Amino acid sequence: MIKFKIILNILGKLLVGESFFLFISLLVSLIYQGNDTTAFLKAGLVTFAVGTFSYLLSKGVQKDLGKREGYIIVSLVWVVFSMFGCLPYLFSGAIPSVTDAFFETMSGFTTTGSSILNNIEELPHGILFWRSLTQWMGGMGIIVMFLAILPTLGIGGRELFVAEVPGPAPDKLTPRIKETARNLWGLYMLFTAIETILLYAGGMSFFDAINHSLTTMATGGYSTKQASVGFYTSPYIQYTIIFFMFVAGTNFTLSYGMITGRFTKVFKDEEFRFYALVVLFFAFIITLGLIAAGSVTGEQAFRDALFTVVSIITTTGYATADYLLWSPFLGMLIFVLFFVGGSAGSTGGGVKVVRILLLFKNSFYELKRLVHPNAVIPIRYNSKVVDQRTVTNILAFFVFYILIFMMSAVLMSFWTPDIYSAFSAVATTLGNIGPGFGEIGPMENFHNLPDLAKWFLAFLMMLGRLELFTVLVLFSPAFWKH
Amino acid sequence: MSVLALIESIFMILCVLISFFYCEGDLGCFLKSAFITLVVGGILFLITKNHRPEMHKREAFLVVSLVWVFFSIFGALPYWIGSYVPSYTNAFFETISGFTTTGASVITDIESLPHGILFWRSLTHLLGGMGILVLTVAILPIFGFGGMAMFNAEAAGVTVDKLHPRIKETAKRLWGIYMLLIALEIIFLMLGDMGFFDAVCHSFGTLASGGFSTKNDSIMGYSPYIQYVIIFFMFLAGVNFTLHYFAIKGNLKKFIQNQEFKFYLGLILLITAIITLTLILKNHAPFEHSFRDALFQVVSVITSTGFVSADYTAWPSYLWMLIFGLMFTGACVGSTSGGVKILRHLLLFKNSILEFKRMIHPSAVIPVRYNKEAIGKDVIFKIQAFVVLYFAIFFASTIVLAFLGLDFISSMGAVATTMGGIGPGLGKVGPVDNFAMLPDAAKWVLSFLMLLGRLELFTLLIIFVPAFWKNQ
Repeated sequence: MIKFKIILNILGKLLVGESFFLFISLLVSLIYQGNDTTAFLKAGLVTFAVGTFSYLLSKGVQKDLGKREGYIIVSLVWVVFSMFGCLPYLFSGAIPSVTDAFFETMSGFTTTGSSILNNIEELPHGILFWRSLTQWMGGMGIIVMFLAILPTLGIGGRELFVAEVPGPAPDKLTPRIKETARNLWGLYMLFTAIETILLYAGGMSFFDAINHSLTTMATGGYSTKQASVGFYTSPYIQYTIIFFMFVAGTNFTLSYGMITGRFTKVFKDEEFRFYALVVLFFAFIITLGLIAAGSVTGEQAFRDALFTVVSIITTTGYATADYLLWSPFLGMLIFVLFFVGGSAGSTGGGVKVVRILLLFKNSFYELKRLVHPNAVIPIRYNSKVVDQRTVTNILAFFVFYILIFMMSAVLMSFWTPDIYSAFSAVATTLGNIGPGFGEIGPMENFHNLPDLAKWFLAFLMMLGRLELFTVLVLFSPAFWKH
Repeated sequence: MSVLALIESIFMILCVLISFFYCEGDLGCFLKSAFITLVVGGILFLITKNHRPEMHKREAFLVVSLVWVFFSIFGALPYWIGSYVPSYTNAFFETISGFTTTGASVITDIESLPHGILFWRSLTHLLGGMGILVLTVAILPIFGFGGMAMFNAEAAGVTVDKLHPRIKETAKRLWGIYMLLIALEIIFLMLGDMGFFDAVCHSFGTLASGGFSTKNDSIMGYSPYIQYVIIFFMFLAGVNFTLHYFAIKGNLKKFIQNQEFKFYLGLILLITAIITLTLILKNHAPFEHSFRDALFQVVSVITSTGFVSADYTAWPSYLWMLIFGLMFTGACVGSTSGGVKILRHLLLFKNSILEFKRMIHPSAVIPVRYNKEAIGKDVIFKIQAFVVLYFAIFFASTIVLAFLGLDFISSMGAVATTMGGIGPGLGKVGPVDNFAMLPDAAKWVLSFLMLLGRLELFTLLIIFVPAFWKNQ
């Protein structure tokens, strides 16, 4: 029997947590004297009230949490958070339609960064800050965040953690889940702070620096400017953002190792090496392509190429150049990157580098196995043998990813005028990236799509963010059997 | 050296075989081509005469890959010498497209060609189809891969364990079924008022799941009866030939019990229903015509034949997205079709669904079952390796074609269609266009992809692995 009471209990606590963040935005709004103050006050109070109510309703509940409750809670949290998170947009009138507001919020929490707004610079500061904050909360994972800061959530931490971070588990920072969550969050905040300082030093206003740092570290991609990072022509700012996007796409365990001085561990890590190699390789080719096309010069070509490659592979989705204007060949390269994603244990979405690496390894080993049919050739990763179970899991993930991609693209082509838009809308939301191709390119956005398409894409974002299984398992009959 | 010599000697026999077929044409170019092939074959044979005919696994890999290349090199001669296809690149493309039963063409005005050339074109399909049957049903399982490898237990009566001597028997039976179906189709087509020559050529194209037609507009101009006949035989060509064998022996139950067949049938019906409905609702076309167009295109693409009776690129875009999806499914293993094959999809899909059960019951051992038998992990791994490579090659090649100047949709369509051995693609290489205007480099890349797809990737790829060349 699934214990619904405990689910209610935990969701209630988390909502109270969300209201806390809404009140922070209220503060920002008060400081800048925007017309959105009441909106935040109302949204915060509603969220707080609902949260407290459901907590009180389920107060005396037994505190043991099974695997199945874990999956339900994690999936629901993202939906519920988006439902309440879109209140400020609605109350303030910044986004009048419920569909659009929900889309914008889900796109925030899942760190996708696809937007339906085309008047970003006219919005009050409070709203802009809330927009960036949703990404920052979602970046490391809502549950992981609350595991770190809320002591009372301690029950069933492992189940929730596994459900929210289902990828091929990187070695844990510390044996205890709570410690792990705390270390990850400490690191996350540290990087955000450093980036804010560096951007501020580069002449960005303090407000913009904070917002961009929040969304960079979350690999989200919401900007406070309509022209995204392209607004800032300073190479210093662009390189700073490139660097932090790259860091956000690296396994946080490795960054932790880097800070504590274990450099060899970082440079010997296969995933990191592969990730860096892919970035450099693609940036190199695109730089050459841009120079050959002759529209930009050496340094700028390199910067545009590197920025776009890092932005897409880490699934951030900032734009400094419109890759739709590049040749189809370069466009294809970018499109391939849509399917790579960041490293496991980073805030990046998508398929994840480690999965691709292991799949390739297995495919190449298969050729070896054909030459030596009697030899047992296991897959090695970081010189450890990879469990067969992990490989089958990755394989299942890959199959679902492609399948969902294909089916969704067919479905989307009902709603979009051309096939590029359909393909890329699905790829970009499933991979939590942000911009796509065609009608939804980096300089365009999603507001033209019909409502139904927006709900569908919002679902895809969540599916992609929770790495498919956590959500999909809820739809399997075996899950609901006693 | 001994390895190479052995290989060459095998070619020789095959080349003489071809040269025999060449004489079907009534033109000088056929005589010339046949003569050249015969001479080359003869010389190779003489050089390697005193060699012991003993073949190991590695030589076998090489032979299989090289046979298709050499066949195409010499098979291109009639087009080239007769200057019906003046550029050698084009001639080679056309030939390998024939032998791999892809059916992608570079000839713009097919009807202006002499009968001999048209017949040779269809004949490459026939030979290719025969080669594939032996390859997929008899040879690849021995290497331990190819869809049929996992089919061994099921089809014990037909499949063989050793290269010698029962492979001959197997091949004979399969060819028997193949020829029988071709003969039946010729008769049915002639009953529908198709000329004898066209009936023969189309039958070759159908059963080999090739797709070369003798008409510029493929099957479009023919009567509904003929279209239905061709649909039916394309469908049969996409079924595992061992099932046909059982059916002929009176064991029809195998058909019904076979999960892959059921899935194949279900998929065709489902997609056809969607397309038919859309055509009726959106284009206001009459029911029978919509249904026929839908069914024809679906069966043609899923079996990787590539005959065309309607231009699917003119349909609403989500419909040709569906067709594009079908380019990756392919039909059953052990048929003449190309692509990934349904069995692979089925097993991968089953494995993925079971992953949910494994999530909820982490300590249970839950194997994949197919036709009620548990499938080993190693088989799943193999399929996984195959599918990953397939997609990786698909993406990489698309980029290469884009680099060579094709647009996004055309490059994807061209790669998908050649790897799957289908024929028409999307965009500029759609069903009513053809591959003639592509740059030469693109044609060579696509030729390579056809071969790669046809040989189920591994046979060809393994040659590029260093471990393959190391002495053991």
